[in-house]
Amino acid sequence: MSSRAIIVLSWKNVWRNPVRSGIVILSVVVATWSGIFMVGFFNGMTVQFVRDQLQNYTSHIQIHDTRYVDESLPEFTIREADQIINSLQAFDFVTQVTPRTVINGLISSANNNYGVTIEGVRPDLEVQTTAIHSYLIEGEYLTGSLRNPVFIGSDLAQKLAVQLRSRIVLTFQDKQGNITAGAFRIEGIFKTPNKAFNEGNILVRADDLNRLLGDEQAVHEIIVMVDDYMKSEDYALQIQSVLSNEVVVRSWKDLSPMLKYIESSMDISMYLVMVILIIALCFGVINTMLMAVLERTAELGMLRAVGLNKFKSFTMIMLETTFLTMIGSPLGLLLGWSFNAWYGEKGIDLAFFSKGLELYGFNSMIYPELGLTYYLDITLLMLLATVFSAIFPALKALKLNPVEAIRKH
Amino acid sequence: MAIIDIKNITKVYNSDQIPVHALNGIDLQIEAGEFTAIVGPSGSGKTTLLNILGGLDDPTSGNININGVDLFSLNQKQLTEYRLHHIGFVFQSYNLIPVLTARENIEFILQIQGKDAKHFRQRSLELLEAVGLVDKADKMPSELSGGQQQRVAVARALASNPDFVLADEPTANLDSASTSNLLDIMATMNSELGITFIFSTHDQRVVERATRIVTLVDGKIFSDENR
Repeated sequence: MSSRAIIVLSWKNVWRNPVRSGIVILSVVVATWSGIFMVGFFNGMTVQFVRDQLQNYTSHIQIHDTRYVDESLPEFTIREADQIINSLQAFDFVTQVTPRTVINGLISSANNNYGVTIEGVRPDLEVQTTAIHSYLIEGEYLTGSLRNPVFIGSDLAQKLAVQLRSRIVLTFQDKQGNITAGAFRIEGIFKTPNKAFNEGNILVRADDLNRLLGDEQAVHEIIVMVDDYMKSEDYALQIQSVLSNEVVVRSWKDLSPMLKYIESSMDISMYLVMVILIIALCFGVINTMLMAVLERTAELGMLRAVGLNKFKSFTMIMLETTFLTMIGSPLGLLLGWSFNAWYGEKGIDLAFFSKGLELYGFNSMIYPELGLTYYLDITLLMLLATVFSAIFPALKALKLNPVEAIRKH
Repeated sequence: MAIIDIKNITKVYNSDQIPVHALNGIDLQIEAGEFTAIVGPSGSGKTTLLNILGGLDDPTSGNININGVDLFSLNQKQLTEYRLHHIGFVFQSYNLIPVLTARENIEFILQIQGKDAKHFRQRSLELLEAVGLVDKADKMPSELSGGQQQRVAVARALASNPDFVLADEPTANLDSASTSNLLDIMATMNSELGITFIFSTHDQRVVERATRIVTLVDGKIFSDENR
């Protein structure tokens, strides 16, 4: 019965000063809501960035000739690439596979020339595997009737001062080590969120490139997409185990340490944001609860005098804080979840910052998202933090001398 | 038979600086059913004696035996428990819990004692009836007059069937009518139910109703008069 009495009294004490309690509850709501929304925003931005990078550029897994990894020379092609591609079909987790010829060369227009990475792709397979084609802004994606078509980025087109159907020349080293060149026509222009990619990469048909390279079957890179990119490391090991040592199978985490770092530091960053918000909230809670204790000095003294023991006095103050949090947290969670769900669907358009975001490869449309475990973790963090904040005021209540407390009235 | 046996109690404040001797060797026995007023000028040690008697303050020396229990052999936790079950308190400023109704203020004591719901509901209404406030059972303290609040405080003090009730200047904030009413109630409880009351007071109206008057001067018993 005594526990019930303390719970009831604590609950009633919460509403003793509705304005003050309302402010604390509002603080908890705002902190939870803004924390969840902010974390959802950054999480969505990062996850989207990682996904975009994998879908557009890095892919989930890449297979190369072992020598190519050390030195990207045209002659280091993958032997029996078709057989390897066929063997990949045996893995359930493999969703798409496409071979590429990849060469570093020079692109020249009538006005200018730049160093680029020339990717020879099989358009029918490439469109099923990567998403570069979806960034087409002009023309067609290597599927038109032009001879030697090329698909280039808008930034590069601008630098070369070329447009659709303009003629450009690609110069590079062939498989025998001789310099070779070929004339291509711009069939399509893309604009991905990554400015560096737009400036430094062009796509041509593998057949056209291989002809100039002097090896019709040349494949430098096999791109593999899997059902769950987070399991890529494990999948890469499984693939490697059935292939010869002449090729090396690497997951995106090996291919792009930066992406691996971003992915692994995402959690820490998000919790850091929450912890900063919660620390700010804690000061508010400590202040409020301290006021609540100090203005009830005589009453707390009376309770101690008539026989309320220290543990129950302590529990009463702790419960008051817990109630404040328990009211505020669910409201904040609901608001945060609603915002994440709504904007997760509609997206937040940061077009105003798109130039800056593009520099770092971020999309200007952000779709907030947050896993269920984060909601639970944040709720737990909030509860722990506010309960922790109540300890100091509750200890203050414990230290009250009943005689002095009653005399202060 | 003495339910309270006070032996050579002294209390010195600021003993390491300028010592203030609040109590100077008090010896006093209180019998069950007494209606005792402790009187004396300000600073004579009335409240200090009541605080020590209630286990709220420690004496510098001496001891108090209540119904065979040496009060100061108990640790803080045992003292708190002892107060809850054996001593009723009435304070000058009523000190009701403002967020609880009159009935809930009384029930709270019984609840923290661990009494069952059926018991404390019945008991609280009996006590409110005894102090003439059964119709105000569901009123908040802010809706009651000072006299009514102090009557609720008396009812709360009696809730746990204490061995005695300590009342520190219980009428100091009350008007004449409320004082008279409160004293009538306490006197009735004393005479009919045999409840022991110990007051500290300046109030002549309380002194007039007391059956024993202990006068303190400078921390010593100046006179001890039975009526």
